[in-house]
Parts: sequence; structure tokens; C-alpha cells
Amino acid sequence: MSGEESFSRRLMIAATMLLFKSHRRPGVRGWELKHRLGKNYMRVIDALNSKLKQLGLEIKTVFEEGEENNLDRARFYVVLSHPLTMSDLVAAGWRIDEVAALSITLSILSSRGGKAPLRDVLEVLETKFPKWKAESYLERAIRRGYIERLEDDMLTIGWRTKVEVEQKALLKAVLEAREEKEIRSD
Amino acid sequence: MRKVVVAREELERIIKLCENVERRGLDPFTVNVRELLEKLRRIVEENPDLDHYVIDAETLYRISALIALQHKWLREKAKALFIDAQMISTRLVVMDKKALVKAFLKAWHPIISLEQMTPQRLRQGLEHFLSLPPRGGGREFGWKITDREMELIKAKLELEEKAMMEKVKALHHELLRRFEERGEPLDYWEFIRGESFDETFERAYLLSFLITDGYVDVKRNPLKNEVKLIPHREQVKRKSPTSLVISLGGEAG
Repeated sequence: MSGEESFSRRLMIAATMLLFKSHRRPGVRGWELKHRLGKNYMRVIDALNSKLKQLGLEIKTVFEEGEENNLDRARFYVVLSHPLTMSDLVAAGWRIDEVAALSITLSILSSRGGKAPLRDVLEVLETKFPKWKAESYLERAIRRGYIERLEDDMLTIGWRTKVEVEQKALLKAVLEAREEKEIRSD
Repeated sequence: MRKVVVAREELERIIKLCENVERRGLDPFTVNVRELLEKLRRIVEENPDLDHYVIDAETLYRISALIALQHKWLREKAKALFIDAQMISTRLVVMDKKALVKAFLKAWHPIISLEQMTPQRLRQGLEHFLSLPPRGGGREFGWKITDREMELIKAKLELEEKAMMEKVKALHHELLRRFEERGEPLDYWEFIRGESFDETFERAYLLSFLITDGYVDVKRNPLKNEVKLIPHREQVKRKSPTSLVISLGGEAG
């Protein structure tokens, strides 16, 4: 097998590992990629990333807390590189209300350093939804991994938010939405 | 003495305050650290005993943890472009649902992943299936019983019958022995009484076979409310057999 063939075969293996879920959670650890692709697995990942970008996808690396330089312990995911539109969202089976509730919850948590009491989050959610609905949206977000519920009824950012949501961009977008409204009213 | 107790309570209050800020994720800058440290210094100077030093040390540790939290809080704030949490909450309340979704979509990059069946998963599924117990009572209706199953059932019934006949035989021998020892009819309730209600029930049940088959006669005296048993070595043919109903309560005897 020539070097080129071997490299393209390793690309295919990497794509399969990253796109197919083989654990309870999606994503592959760096050491797993190293085991299958060899020592220079980051070269394969970079090449695959540039191919995926042409399709509107990208590989995201999420490091373990406190191990920001340890690639072997990091998790690799394939995520959408461009933002979805409202119609994409509805077509994917999401409810507008549910995403709005998620947006509120994650904005509150992000603005408070990733942790907030459940009561405070519910207080804001209840300005938009009835209590039972707000609670059910929170439960669903917990099940999906976007938030975690700790002891003493505290909410914190979940593993999925760390992968999928750019928290700074979310806060900025919340503030910008206000500005857009003000500009329109002017 | 009272002064010491008050100082201890004050220190405990400081520890609790620091713990609360840490646990509830509150703004650590709402606590005046300088004031806490001054208070701690005053208490240490007023109570120079070993017992107090332990709680003083813990208080100092908690205040240090609070300062570390302030450092972390500042770093998080800097990362979040110093956006005030209260301002975000206020914005969220006034924004409509569509605007909230649009803001979220700008920051959201969902994971792309497909579920797949792996050989490992298939093996786990098979192992789980094989470990499942057979459905209880599933063969009572609408199932064709094979000849082999019939034979197994017959063999099982024969074994059960044999075991029961042996028990009946043992009871018959016991009855005869006790009858010969006493030389008079035995009281029914006294004879069937076992160590538990289950045992009493079993003895009464087995005795009913001996009575029906003619190995034991039962004499009932309604005036004295007595039921007496007279055993026979051989089966006795009865001319006009009658039924006698005896009900057993929840207690032995």
C-alpha cells in the first residue's frame, strides 16, 4: 500500500470514528484516535477537518478541565460550522419554545460563571412559560446534557453546552438583539 | 465564658457565610473580606487559647477560599467580556421567544453524530436476551404441549404423589403409636397441632386423606365440642360415609 493510499485509508477511519457514535456519548478521545491512526493522528485530523469544512462541518476539540494542553485526554467531535436558520431548526424537530428556554437558561448560567440556583433560572423562565412547561424544558435540557443539576438545586453548564455552544457569542448575541430592536424603533 | 461562646458563634457564622457564597455560586465580592479579617484578628487577640485556634484556622482557610473564588470570578467575568449577569437577566425578560432563539442559533454548533450497531452492542443484546427468564404463565393458554413435556409433567406429578404418600404413611404411624401409648381416642386439635400454622395445616390436610381412605375414624361430640380420632392398622370399609367440615383459623391449634 502506497503512502497516499495509507493516508486516505486513515482519513476514512478517522471519519468513521468521529461520525459514528460508539460510546454512550458522541465524540472520541485523543488516545483512541492515536491507537487507531498512529502517533501523528493530529495530521490526519487536520486533513479531515479541511475536507469537512467544505461540507459546512468542522472538528472541535474539547479539553478536559485543568488539562488544556493534553490532546490525548481531549475529546474530538464533529460539529456544524455554520449557524442554523429558524427553518432548519424546525425541520430538525426542535420546538421554538424549547430552544428559547434553553437560550434563557444557558445565558443566565454563562453570565454567572457557569452556575446558578434553579430558583433564579425558573424565575426568568416563568416570565415566558407556565411553571410546568418551564420545568419540563429544564428536565429535557438536563436529559440532553446541556445542563446539569447539582445538589442544593443548583444548575451548571453541561458537557454538551461546552461542545456545542460558544458561550461568549451567546451573551453577545443576547445584547445585540436588544440593540437591533432599539435601532428598529429609532 | 459567655464572651467565648459569642466569639465561637461569630466565627461559625463567618465560616457559614463563606461556604454559602461558594456553594450557591453567589457574587463573592458582596462579602467584605477586609472586615471579616479584622473581626477574626480581634477574636484571636481576645481568645488566646488552643481550643479557639482550631476554629480560627478554619475561618482563615474559608476566607482564603473566598479570595480564591473572587480571583476565579474576575477571570470568568473577563472571559464573558464583563457582561453583568443582572443586565443579561433583564434583557432575557424583555426579549421575545423568536429573538431568544435567533440569539441562540448564532452561538450554536450542534454535534453531528450517527447511531450505529456495533458487533459489541449486538453481543451485549444477545447476552441480555439469553439472560431473560422465561415468561411466567405464558404456556397456560393456547400452547400445544409436546409428548416430551407431557412425560416430564407426569414424572413430576408421580414424584410429588410419592412424596405425599410417604408423608401420609408417616402420619398414620405416628397416630397409631400415640393411640397405643394413650390407650384412648386422640383429640383432633391436639394431634394436628404443629410448630407453625403451615405445619398444622399440612398435618390436617394429610390426615384428611387417612380419614377418607378409612384408616382413621372421627367421632364428634357436639355437646363437648370435641373431635376424637381412632386409627386402624388396616383400611376399614364404611357403609355410609359422611363429610365433616373443620375450619382452621389463623393460629395453630
